[in-house]
Amino acid sequence: MKLTPSVLELDLPDVEKRIKRFIKEYVENARADGIVLGLSGGIDSGTVAAMSSLSVGGSRVTGLMLPEKETYNSKDIDDAKFVAKKFGLKTKVCNITPVLEGFYNTIPIFDQADKLCKGNIKARTRMIYLYYYANKLNKIVCGSSDKSETMMGYFTKWGDVAADISPLMDLYKTQVRKLADHIGIPSELVAKPSTPALWPNQLAETELGIKYETLDLILYGFEKFMTTKEIAQQISVKKSLVEKVKNRWLSVEHKRRLPLAPKVEYRTVGTDFRLPRHIY
Amino acid sequence: MSSKRENKKANLQKIEEFTIKAKEQGADLVIFPELSLTGYVLHDQVYELAEVIPGPSTERVEQLAKKTGIHIIFGMPELSEKTKATIFNTAVFVGPKGFIGKFRKMYLPTHSVFEEKRYFRPGYQITAFKTAIGNIGLFICYDIFFPEVCRLTRLKGAELMVCISASPAVRRGYFEILTASRALENTAFLAYVNLVGIEDGLQFWGGSRVVSPTGDLLVKAKYDEEDLVICEVDYSDMRPAETFIPMLRDLRPELFDELKKHSETL
Repeated sequence: MKLTPSVLELDLPDVEKRIKRFIKEYVENARADGIVLGLSGGIDSGTVAAMSSLSVGGSRVTGLMLPEKETYNSKDIDDAKFVAKKFGLKTKVCNITPVLEGFYNTIPIFDQADKLCKGNIKARTRMIYLYYYANKLNKIVCGSSDKSETMMGYFTKWGDVAADISPLMDLYKTQVRKLADHIGIPSELVAKPSTPALWPNQLAETELGIKYETLDLILYGFEKFMTTKEIAQQISVKKSLVEKVKNRWLSVEHKRRLPLAPKVEYRTVGTDFRLPRHIY
Repeated sequence: MSSKRENKKANLQKIEEFTIKAKEQGADLVIFPELSLTGYVLHDQVYELAEVIPGPSTERVEQLAKKTGIHIIFGMPELSEKTKATIFNTAVFVGPKGFIGKFRKMYLPTHSVFEEKRYFRPGYQITAFKTAIGNIGLFICYDIFFPEVCRLTRLKGAELMVCISASPAVRRGYFEILTASRALENTAFLAYVNLVGIEDGLQFWGGSRVVSPTGDLLVKAKYDEEDLVICEVDYSDMRPAETFIPMLRDLRPELFDELKKHSETL
């Protein structure tokens, strides 16, 4: 197989149809009144907000904007509002700064200098707001994780990845951008660099140490059972870079699963209790 | 057809409604997808849902066939009569005179999103059933990837080869090629009937169809949505097809010995 950018091309009308149908059926079958999602002003959340509105109608979608003072960026708020207006979804703004400060001030071992531990509090706090709205309004939480970030474990465990459904999780980041463009997200937002907004000026590509265009091809190669050597040769990168991606992908499986339990009895939750996810 | 998972009562009701509609449109045979009685994604719940055949569900469908006077094929998890928890993925065939026969899926996909070998025992018998509406062979979904299943069905006299299926969306292209190929290479009719609906994120693509002995698409149901389509099958079309490209005449049995030998030592 030739690992060229064309392998990431999609039948966009078909993908759009499939994802919309998935969202709509899930909401209907769950007998939910709609969808709650976090609206950060980024490409993933903008795309999932648009797809949700196109699936169930904007009046049933609540986009929560959850700014906090350290990462506050008026451009993100403007971008989020633009998407909300264009696709007709309702928005709410909740400043989560006081809650975060509550955590910072009451955790005895809190370390201001530890950006990651502190940033994870932000992601998990956002999750709490989303689930509060969902519980209260009888809605489901729709996540915006994509395949690139999920495979890389580039998310906060029980934080931004927490959701009832993740409609974009089988699309690589570069594919999400194509879908976004296809459904009418403005090109400026499509090209906007991704950030989890855990600390100021955090950029996903800088942190991952690789461009999404390259990362997605490497991950696609693994998806298609290619070896590290084959992938490196095909896209003309060092084998060590491909190995680094592979090691990270494999080492973070724990973030994608339920907690591991010791096998004690006949059938164990998360291991060999294999049950259908939903019976409607 | 889209099945309500684990709800045999609702699915039997739907089978009845479609059968009555098919009868009204003049059908002699109505076909439902793989595991249409229970839904496809069952995991451990299959142990509660499997039934012996004949059993309560097949008896109900037999009554329906008698009442409407047409033949019915549908899929269900079958519990072995001789054991307590050995299950097959089975196609059931009933007609106006009652139970005709069954086919147990031979090739159980256990890769990608499929885990059938975890739950099902494979079948070992291929049969073509002689009925008032012709000789009819049955097989199930992944069996179509193995030309020998279909070929043996044809060699046992099948005129209409019926493949019931639960194929998720990304595999549509494969089945569209394989259904045409199996009909063409065996110069017989092939009816392919696929599930629709979403089960645990798997979107079954529907697109049920009848293919002619020359591989032409005679009728096709909608993609992704429930649909009932009717197709008249004229078995006399098999003769010109088989005369024009006589693949059955040209079979080379000695190659099958070679196939066997090499399969065993793969």
